[in-house]
Amino acid sequence: MPDGRPSKIRPGQERYVARLEDTPLHDVGALDTTAPPESQWKEAWKQLRKNPLFWVSAVLLVFLAVVIAVPGLFTSNDPSFCQPGKSLAVSSPGHPLGFDRQGCDVYSRVIYGARASVAVGVFTTLIVALLGLVTGAVAGFYGGFLDALISRIGDIFYAIPLLLAAIVLLSALNNVWPNRGFWGSVLAIVLALGLFGWPQVTRIARGAVIETKQQEFVDAARALGATPRRNLLRHVVPNSLAPVIVTATVSLGVFIVAEATLSFLGLGLPTSIVSWGNDIAASQNQVRAGQRLGTMFWPAGALALTVFSFILLGDAVRDALDPKAKKR
Amino acid sequence: MWWYVGKRLLQAIPVILGATLLIYAMVFLRPGDPIVALFGDKPVPEGTYQALREQYNFDKPFLVQWLLFLKGAVTLDFGTAFSGQPVIDLVQRAFPVTIKLAFMALVIEAVLGVAAGFYAGMRRGKLFDSTMLVVSLLVIAVPIFVFGFVLQLLVGIKLGALPALVSSQATFRELLLPAIVLGLVSFAYVLRLTRTSVIENLTADHVRTARAKGLPDGQVNRRHVLRNSLIPVVTFLGADLGGLMAGAVVTEGIFNVPGVGNLAFQAVRRGETPTIVSVVTIMVLVYVLTSLVVDLLYAWLDPRIRYA
Repeated sequence: MPDGRPSKIRPGQERYVARLEDTPLHDVGALDTTAPPESQWKEAWKQLRKNPLFWVSAVLLVFLAVVIAVPGLFTSNDPSFCQPGKSLAVSSPGHPLGFDRQGCDVYSRVIYGARASVAVGVFTTLIVALLGLVTGAVAGFYGGFLDALISRIGDIFYAIPLLLAAIVLLSALNNVWPNRGFWGSVLAIVLALGLFGWPQVTRIARGAVIETKQQEFVDAARALGATPRRNLLRHVVPNSLAPVIVTATVSLGVFIVAEATLSFLGLGLPTSIVSWGNDIAASQNQVRAGQRLGTMFWPAGALALTVFSFILLGDAVRDALDPKAKKR
Repeated sequence: MWWYVGKRLLQAIPVILGATLLIYAMVFLRPGDPIVALFGDKPVPEGTYQALREQYNFDKPFLVQWLLFLKGAVTLDFGTAFSGQPVIDLVQRAFPVTIKLAFMALVIEAVLGVAAGFYAGMRRGKLFDSTMLVVSLLVIAVPIFVFGFVLQLLVGIKLGALPALVSSQATFRELLLPAIVLGLVSFAYVLRLTRTSVIENLTADHVRTARAKGLPDGQVNRRHVLRNSLIPVVTFLGADLGGLMAGAVVTEGIFNVPGVGNLAFQAVRRGETPTIVSVVTIMVLVYVLTSLVVDLLYAWLDPRIRYA
């Protein structure tokens, strides 16, 4: 038997052997075997290039990356230079968006605020995706006790609402580890959101791995003598990545919103750090009073545009990676 | 089916134990002494201090504190808040308000989300569909408290159409605006889910069969497209009830709703362990029960699913 399994032909049973022309093997000759093999990723990139929404989000995100890398290119004002005399002043030359309550330049704060907000989103997503992928792959591939253990632990973290868990953990961290600087503050939020965010990715990765490991090419690799470890790393995981990447891209936006929400509750980044979340939170009194709505509109708008871009990107990637969805 | 329900409830026990332990551990991380904080600038009398420490079990090791909490929780004794009131009383007062708020939000998001998503999916690529997609993306992209403030200002204060703040009575009319704000993000998710699901089902074999046997369009759309499209939506809504209760921390703060979200947030600020752990335990219970109900609903929506 070609697949190495013992045959189970009962006595008296005849085997029908189809002629070559009647089998799918017949078409094999029609394939251009000299052409280089197209990987799933190359195929997806071809699809992605054709999608206008991908280009919209890509242009926005590249622009965002430039803003984060060299904010000085867009503004010469110092975001932390505030003049109390200019509190809530309207726009003036060099200060296109006016001033906030503290008398800081709104425009430069929007530009500089990108760094902290996006850092939280990117690093939380990396941690969640990595942790989720590893646990999900192990649970899905090995099954049995490991699967039960990982799934139950995941359930525990998943059952506590993300926002509430982050609030409790951050309020504890604020006491244990005060004055932690820019990266320390970012790390604290990344930890709080990451610690309770991974089970969602685990579930998705686990499902994808279980689906992939039942496919023929995995059997083929095993028949050729691949060890389970090699099979998992070289065949199963690469072919289960698509849904994880899509979820990660979309949740990047969600984590940026979560940072803003935590800052609004006073548990996010310390107010000394320029971030969109802090500026939106600081503007709530003006909005309550109905004056200078721009102080909330501009940081909120920048945040919304960023999240929007990531969700669009996630949608485009999903359409490219899921050939079934394309046809619809 | 009862066998299945029993199995699921048994599986929930380690989840609840683990979740309370986790929250206990996080609250325990706080090095500050909540009893000293309770007295503010005033000196704490030594005798009172010891008595309070014993009352709140702060003098015992961490694991013992947790076990004592569990022991009490089994008999519905969740300990006392720093104000001297039993936590169960506080929760009993706040919980119905949040449940009411969350259910109002759930109904709003489910009805509007499914209706808009169904309509958008049936007319894919048309103006309504594109508008709804942009609207849903915007709703997801803008932090919820921004909507809260804007709607509070516009609808509550400028137009005066609905109350901008909620009193201790928490009437239906007062809770309407917070419920809309609370349900807004999930509305976007429900819309997107329903739309995708409807588009998927429109080309499914069973819908083609239904049309081929001459069933009127209305019946095909209702019974075969909509009903089958609801399965992922129901999963989402079930999981969302817990999310809504957590989201209530923000919404209840903006609209001054006397619910568990507010209660939990205040308790976190004070480091009031019994209240925090009780509220989280209740939320975990809600999550466990709703996910069980969702799984049972599957069987009703899709009779092919059986439980073992």
